[in-house]
Amino acid sequence: MDIALRQISKSYDGRPVLENLDLDVAAGEFHVLLGPSGGGKTTMVSVIAGLTKADIGSVLIGGRDVSLLPPGRRKVGLVFQDYALFPHLDVFDNIAYGLRVRKLREAKIAQKLKYYLEKTGLEKEKHTFPHQLSGGQKQRVALLRTLVTEPEVLLLDEPMSSLDVLTREQISAELVNIHRKTELTTIYVTHNQAEAFSLGDRISVLHNGKIEQIETPEELFYHPKTEFVARFVGINNILKAKVAATNRYEAVMEINNEGLSQAFMLRAKNYPVFKKGEEINLCLHPEKIDLSKKNEARDNGGNRICGKIAERTNHGNVFKVTIDIGGLALHAVIPKSLFNFQVYEDVWVDFAPDALHPLCGRRCREPEFSRKCHNISSPELVGVCRTDA
Amino acid sequence: MRNLLFNLMISMLSGIFICLILFPLFALFTATSWSELAGQFKSPLIVSAIIISFQTSLTVVLAALVLGVPMAYLLATKKFPGKEILDTLVDLPICMPPLVVGLALLLLLGGESKFGAFLSGRGVDLIFSRPGIIMAQLFVAGPFLIKSSRQAFEAINENVTKASSSLGASEFHTFRKVLLPLARNGIYAGMVMTWARALGEFGATSMVAGCIPGKTETMTLAIFGYAMSGEMGSSIAIAMLLIVFSFTSLLVFKSRIRKQLPSTQRI
Repeated sequence: MDIALRQISKSYDGRPVLENLDLDVAAGEFHVLLGPSGGGKTTMVSVIAGLTKADIGSVLIGGRDVSLLPPGRRKVGLVFQDYALFPHLDVFDNIAYGLRVRKLREAKIAQKLKYYLEKTGLEKEKHTFPHQLSGGQKQRVALLRTLVTEPEVLLLDEPMSSLDVLTREQISAELVNIHRKTELTTIYVTHNQAEAFSLGDRISVLHNGKIEQIETPEELFYHPKTEFVARFVGINNILKAKVAATNRYEAVMEINNEGLSQAFMLRAKNYPVFKKGEEINLCLHPEKIDLSKKNEARDNGGNRICGKIAERTNHGNVFKVTIDIGGLALHAVIPKSLFNFQVYEDVWVDFAPDALHPLCGRRCREPEFSRKCHNISSPELVGVCRTDA
Repeated sequence: MRNLLFNLMISMLSGIFICLILFPLFALFTATSWSELAGQFKSPLIVSAIIISFQTSLTVVLAALVLGVPMAYLLATKKFPGKEILDTLVDLPICMPPLVVGLALLLLLGGESKFGAFLSGRGVDLIFSRPGIIMAQLFVAGPFLIKSSRQAFEAINENVTKASSSLGASEFHTFRKVLLPLARNGIYAGMVMTWARALGEFGATSMVAGCIPGKTETMTLAIFGYAMSGEMGSSIAIAMLLIVFSFTSLLVFKSRIRKQLPSTQRI
């Protein structure tokens, strides 16, 4: 069943939580709602589930307006962040709750639950109370309690936020598996970008009650529309730029961030939004940055600026490196195998024009002819060197 | 060293408070011999006072349960205009002097009031009767059950209620199958407090029901009556019984609740 939200608004004590929100989730889609805490994600799923009434707007499930229907008649299953298991009921009774509400015969319930409990490995725990279960088991019970009622839409409100990494990976794989088998339209709420990118068919980024961008994970990561989305997906290099010149393929941008001792020029791919003299924010993808010790020309068509390594933090198989470019902190993600620098060492920072992307508030595509990386035979290096390194 | 001094001070201050409770009890329990005490309970008037007290206080608990739990649920889960006023009104009997409660009930139910005359005309006499005692005790003790039950309802994770709704349960089904079982310890606590308060009620009861031996004389009224007429033995006997009952029931209740908590309330 597809889900559609139309002009949904909701305020609490005069404070708007959702503002004129529109969303279309296709039947069978695994849709992720990504955003920071307090952004309205939980309110949004609560409105879809019928637990919270929107001030205005309508919720359509399978084309049917369910805005006025009580939660039980919407055929929506909701799994809560804190699992919300009934603490006075054991695992069996928790899972059977929704079936008993539907007045199924006990024999039928027992038969149905036997199948599910065996399949999820919860058979041994069926007479265990929630406080005796591990986080992962609680999550499975909560999920099963919802799934046995055979909802047409599944809403998962940060279901893995309190699980350890290993259990999270396990549950995540189980969710993907369940979704593949049932093809249940699913809305998954999270503030964790890694979860969003690994699970979602599409991702909506929610910020201050508004959807900033709806995109596939790939598009969202490489083409964030706003500064908020860019930062939220982990791109902290936001450059304040002015379009200095453009040609068919490229634009030369003057970078003048606050705190920068001297403005410098960078080469970017030419996007239709670039108009000479206009100011625009650019994001620079940290994983597209290379570092080198020597000032050697590269064949990336590129940008070369020099700076000093200010900080290096360990993140598994990569280092996150902060480079000081004359007062501008640039962040790079460098594989450990390629990193042979010391903190405070002077380095050359290289990146191709396509590492820069405009944050224009709308979908910014480069023109068709320049989508593939254009090779420049003798690249003229653009940039400024803070030191003589 | 500082911690030691602090703990010493805390223990001393707590000890003073315990003495304030224990010394009067000690005085009461050593004022008479066990044989004299046993003799007092052969008096039919004392037995009658005990029976009346238990009959009325247990009826009050039942009435408070039927009327108070819905009120507690209403206050804990619903938002409506005037809720704060209603909440304050429910708490008012706790702060009101029992004599004032008695006076108010006397004015309402007495034959001179229209309502009292209306009831009297239909053969319902609440003044100087056991139903009058029940009304007075319910007025004074009922809020304890409401307060305790309300806190129990409020302590339930809101998402548990929402989960029940999302699974298709009606509000009544959720109340019956989820909220009542989860709030039961709070409701039990309220029942015990209401019972203890009703059992010990004096001021309002004396105003509404008077002190007719064998008819409206409760244990507390009897303690007062016997003490005033110089029959200290009878007064002490009833007082001791009252304390033993209250202490035992509170102790049993507390230990039962403590045993239950780990298995049902935690998640």
